[in-house]
Amino acid sequence: MDMKLSRRRFLGAAAAGAAASAMPFGSFRAMAASPFAMQASWINDAEFAGYFLGLDNGYYADEGLDMSYASGGPDVIPESTIITGRADLTLTTPDTTIKAISEQGAPFKIIGTQYQKNPIGIVSLKSNPINKPEDLVGKTLAVPPVNVISVEAMLKLNGIDKADVNIVPYAYDPTPLIKGEIDASLDFTTNVPFTISQQGAEATSFLLYDFGFTIFNDTVVVTEETLKTKRKELVGWLRASRRGWEENFVDPTVWPPKWADSWFKGTGRTIENEIYFNKAQQPLVESPNGIFSMAEDDIEACLTALGQIGINGSRDMFDTTLLEEI
Amino acid sequence: MAGNKQWAAPLRNVVVLLLVWEVVGRLDLIADGALPGVSEILIGLWNDRSDYPLHVWETLKASGLGFVIGNLLGVVAGIFFVLIPVSLRVFRGLNIAIFALPPIAIAPILSLTLSGLTPRVVLAALGCYFVTMTATVIGLSQSDSRAADLIRVYGGSNWLIMRMVQFRSALPSILSGFRVAAPNAVLGAILAEFGGGGRWGLGAYLLGSLGRAEPERLWGIGVVATLIAGLAYGVFALMSHRFVGASRAVTMNMSVPEKAGDGSNRPLSSILAGAMAVLLPFLFWWAFIRLLDVPAMISKTPIGVVEYLFFSPAAQSAQERLIAALWETLPITGIGLLCGLSFAFLLAISSRLFPAFLRAFMPVALVTQTMPLVALTPLLVLLLGRGTSLTLWVTISVTFFPAFVILAQGISMVPRATRELAMAYGASAGQELRIITIPASMPYLFAATRLTVPRALLGVMIAEWLATGKGLGNLLNQSRGYMDYGMIWTVAALSVILAVVFYQLVVVVERRVLLRMGMSTAE
Repeated sequence: MDMKLSRRRFLGAAAAGAAASAMPFGSFRAMAASPFAMQASWINDAEFAGYFLGLDNGYYADEGLDMSYASGGPDVIPESTIITGRADLTLTTPDTTIKAISEQGAPFKIIGTQYQKNPIGIVSLKSNPINKPEDLVGKTLAVPPVNVISVEAMLKLNGIDKADVNIVPYAYDPTPLIKGEIDASLDFTTNVPFTISQQGAEATSFLLYDFGFTIFNDTVVVTEETLKTKRKELVGWLRASRRGWEENFVDPTVWPPKWADSWFKGTGRTIENEIYFNKAQQPLVESPNGIFSMAEDDIEACLTALGQIGINGSRDMFDTTLLEEI
Repeated sequence: MAGNKQWAAPLRNVVVLLLVWEVVGRLDLIADGALPGVSEILIGLWNDRSDYPLHVWETLKASGLGFVIGNLLGVVAGIFFVLIPVSLRVFRGLNIAIFALPPIAIAPILSLTLSGLTPRVVLAALGCYFVTMTATVIGLSQSDSRAADLIRVYGGSNWLIMRMVQFRSALPSILSGFRVAAPNAVLGAILAEFGGGGRWGLGAYLLGSLGRAEPERLWGIGVVATLIAGLAYGVFALMSHRFVGASRAVTMNMSVPEKAGDGSNRPLSSILAGAMAVLLPFLFWWAFIRLLDVPAMISKTPIGVVEYLFFSPAAQSAQERLIAALWETLPITGIGLLCGLSFAFLLAISSRLFPAFLRAFMPVALVTQTMPLVALTPLLVLLLGRGTSLTLWVTISVTFFPAFVILAQGISMVPRATRELAMAYGASAGQELRIITIPASMPYLFAATRLTVPRALLGVMIAEWLATGKGLGNLLNQSRGYMDYGMIWTVAALSVILAVVFYQLVVVVERRVLLRMGMSTAE
């Protein structure tokens, strides 16, 4: 991987260098690529396809970025890595980011969002379907402890008493759902239904987003400091990443197989799963205003939904001006 | 011939066990197929064979490095503590605190503050240090005082006694410490890999595999982890076995140990040592943060935690959540502790009465130590539900093994002549146990209890985190998600303080009982 990257980077830099020497007053930014670290929010899967593509195709190098990519995991709190300066930019869930800004005064700005609609939803089996919030009454629902407030907010928005739903922890493995020990679980709807189909059952799901909990996900977050000192790099990152995502969605089945021996090697997941994921996430990522865009209405909807769970954000936590510069 | 017979029975038991497992697994009898058959696990391992080498190598690197560092520190510290007894009192708080650190609470903290391989190595080393340090101190202080007296009479120094008597007689104990440390190192590394977001390592592989709902894969990873730990365990068990023969006393030491001469008769220095013991862990905590230079928002010093808990705007809500969580966690921890200890004690006793059964049981016991619990959660939840019985079983599985190893060691150290005396007077195996073996292994029972206390708390927290969604374990996991750093540090600190307090209670009882029995404490 590294070899390939550095070769691409070399070619990109060489091309840019040639262009610069042809134009004596041209930009020098590509001549010495600036190091730029990105922290993802989870392990390597299709959720991050756009960035893998951008790296493989040299889109970041084109922007003069020497980008390093770190995968995430359950103990990696993405926001922490930009506080400690280990990453310049990270992908987060907006509820934790905005809560950290409003309650702890964390110096964060949201400069874009990967998912226009949060892919998190309630997944259940078709044989015991839960198609709307009301169906959850009297049922057992497994939820990662982190997301409990989101679920409670969705229940409240739909007039359901949270005491009527038995909420238990969700520990990454859908087996209890498939075996019927629980009735539903909260997870990425772009992912788990595939696993369930592999086990010979059929899944049904609905997004929390479609029942009032209208938040973004994988919001692109930087510190105010980085925003000041690395604005050009950040715009370059947004542009390169958008190119990567657009290319990826031309045909979402094309790229995951190509990464079987690189980005997806030994992750423990299957390529078919990544293709399913990639197809399912397309409508949640794409936006008429361009990938990463944050329309005023959507920001408003996000803030309102978070207000329902006591997280009081404001418009100035979002900075849409970089998107305008792409 | 005798050797053959000795191994035939356990081998047969293992084969029977595997056959039963295979049938039960193949027929999907347990938890509707959540337990796969042995052959299904092996087929899965074969299919995934190209995935393993890189993951295994990464885990070996981290756990091996952690094992070496942790044990080296453990042995050196153990020798130091025995040579300068007052240091054991000064470092007591720090030692217990290191042992009581719940790995699930510090894994996120290590991921926050360190990078690369370091969090994995640190977690692996932390899993080794205390066990080996304790085993070293026990081994050194349980040496035959008659041999030491002999050297002293001839004018030998403390260091000479250490070299010629204590260290030799301590070797089996130290090696048994390594034995327990080996699975700890592997599990520590895997836990850090699981959470830390790296690309390679069995823990990372496990995380990616969990979403597939394929128990064969999860068991495959567990089996590989077990093989690594089991191999290390086996090597040290073999070495320990060979050394016991060379260093066990032939007759029993009848002299009463002198009263602790470590300055406890001088009240001022005693108070000073006690104060240091309490302060040192906090000093290290503070220094850790200062040295790493992590922003104050993320890393809380002891003062930061006090501030968060009592003077911040979130103080009241934090206190309420904490008290509610404690109320859920503490009672079940006490029960779990008793269950785990009783189980270990029964096992250790049966290791004397039915050695063949024990040899067959050991591989199974080892699997429970190295099989990451998160991989077993679906199986456990399907079998036991999400209530008290699940919590108790998880707690027993987390606690019994180290306690058992210490107890079995103690029982095997009882001089044969003493046992034979009882037998010669016609005592049954049960009577002999009651009169000789159990009383003689009392120091080890207490040492095992002390070892078990923090682990019981850990077991309960793991069950809460993975299945029941209650108590401290759940609070910790939730705070991680909310970036509630104050609460993350508070839960970690509180669980350590609780473990230390319980530990201290055991020590008080231990001192009284052992003094009355004319035995010395196995620190």
